[in-house]
Amino acid sequence: MLYHPELRNIPMAIAGDAENRHGIILTRNALAKKAGVKAAEPIWQAKQKCPNLIIREPDYESYEYFSKKVRALYYEYTDKVESFGLDECWLDISDSIKLFGSIKNIVIDILRRVKNEIGLTLSIGVSNNKIWSKLGSDIAGESEYYVISKLSDIESLPASSLLNIGAHTYDKLKSFGIYSIGDIAKCSSNYLKGILGKWGEMIWYFANGYDLSEVAGYNDPYEIVKSIGNSSTTVRDIYDMDDLRVVLTILSDSVGSRVKEAGMYFKTVHLYLRNKNLEWRTMQITLNENSDLVSTIFKSAIELFKKNNLNFNVPYRSIGISVSNLSFKKEASSIRLFDDNSYSLRERRIDEALDDIRRRYGYHSISKLRVLEDTELSNFDIKNEHTVFPVSYFRK
Amino acid sequence: MRKKFVDVICLNDQAGNLKPLFLIWDNIYKIPILKIKEICPRASLKVGGSGLRYTCVFESNRVRHLYYDRGKWYVEMQDHML
Repeated sequence: MLYHPELRNIPMAIAGDAENRHGIILTRNALAKKAGVKAAEPIWQAKQKCPNLIIREPDYESYEYFSKKVRALYYEYTDKVESFGLDECWLDISDSIKLFGSIKNIVIDILRRVKNEIGLTLSIGVSNNKIWSKLGSDIAGESEYYVISKLSDIESLPASSLLNIGAHTYDKLKSFGIYSIGDIAKCSSNYLKGILGKWGEMIWYFANGYDLSEVAGYNDPYEIVKSIGNSSTTVRDIYDMDDLRVVLTILSDSVGSRVKEAGMYFKTVHLYLRNKNLEWRTMQITLNENSDLVSTIFKSAIELFKKNNLNFNVPYRSIGISVSNLSFKKEASSIRLFDDNSYSLRERRIDEALDDIRRRYGYHSISKLRVLEDTELSNFDIKNEHTVFPVSYFRK
Repeated sequence: MRKKFVDVICLNDQAGNLKPLFLIWDNIYKIPILKIKEICPRASLKVGGSGLRYTCVFESNRVRHLYYDRGKWYVEMQDHML
């Protein structure tokens, strides 16, 4: 909207490419929001609610450019800036108060400068922990801030407004008579643990503002990268193992290549699947020793699928792979008696050769045979086309 | 108000700074920039844009803002002037 002022007074939304089945609303302006258009709903549904809705495609290059610009401005106030996705950050300004006067001064100054110098509007949440700050920023209007200093400020809000409580968790909580953040906070943590398992205890901490995690600083290695992943909504639904193998090959190729670019090794592999009914699940497996091989990622993903007894009764429309538990050092591996030790060396050579050829001649210059079996399904370069990755709060 | 992209002749100094020297108007007129009063990051909300805003002084002490946004230069113009 910054570059298209003519769209400011028209209901407008950004949506993915409908032809490639990415046709959901990614974000919308205030007028579209007023008309009831919600993020993540299909374009046709949004158009039903708001027939004169203008749809534009996302401009990831600008998105990234402005994210960097706003982040650079934050660094003028503190070195403790932790990204949460591309367009959200936590700032720890406790040590900056002496320099800039007060929290209010800093917040108002950031709002004013981002608006005047960059032309964007921010919503800021101010609190003593990351969860409440995020909640505050959701409550605050455009170019406004919202302070949450105690539980009574938020206890009447629905439980679903808390970070990481999705529709399913909220439904479950409701069935136990827990509707608001206050209700969660008043329960005992053990009671919630009984309902939701380990997760229940976590949301009890969240609701009470007991989240003690630090905001990662500029020099914090964790801030550089905590997990590496790619996901894709495929051009058509995935009905069988052959199709799944094709998509997993491309995803693991991309993730493996990015892991090697970062000079890192992973120990945990996550598989994310979302089916046609938009139900999703994630699985993870931790390896005996860390690795940076594409083949390890691929095999682990297949293993996860088989181990969890998944089937294709409801076809899948979106698949993702990510790796975590990253480190810069290769763990010493024991020499195995029965396995072929030259295997990993050979696999690494293949990975490096593939990456090298792609760097020089383009992504599609070389492919694995499996990918060529179905060019319709595999005709995308996930590594270079997608630069926005969803992040989890529990990345560390 | 509308955005009008313009050609600019610049001096890129040894320190990496970019200083606009002449503005080329409609590929015909080469207008000298006599002085730069201020350089600051600024969004141009009226015409849509964001970048570095150069406050330039032209002949007869006329002041105009010249914006530098991701490698391109532009000025804000009243609709009737375009």
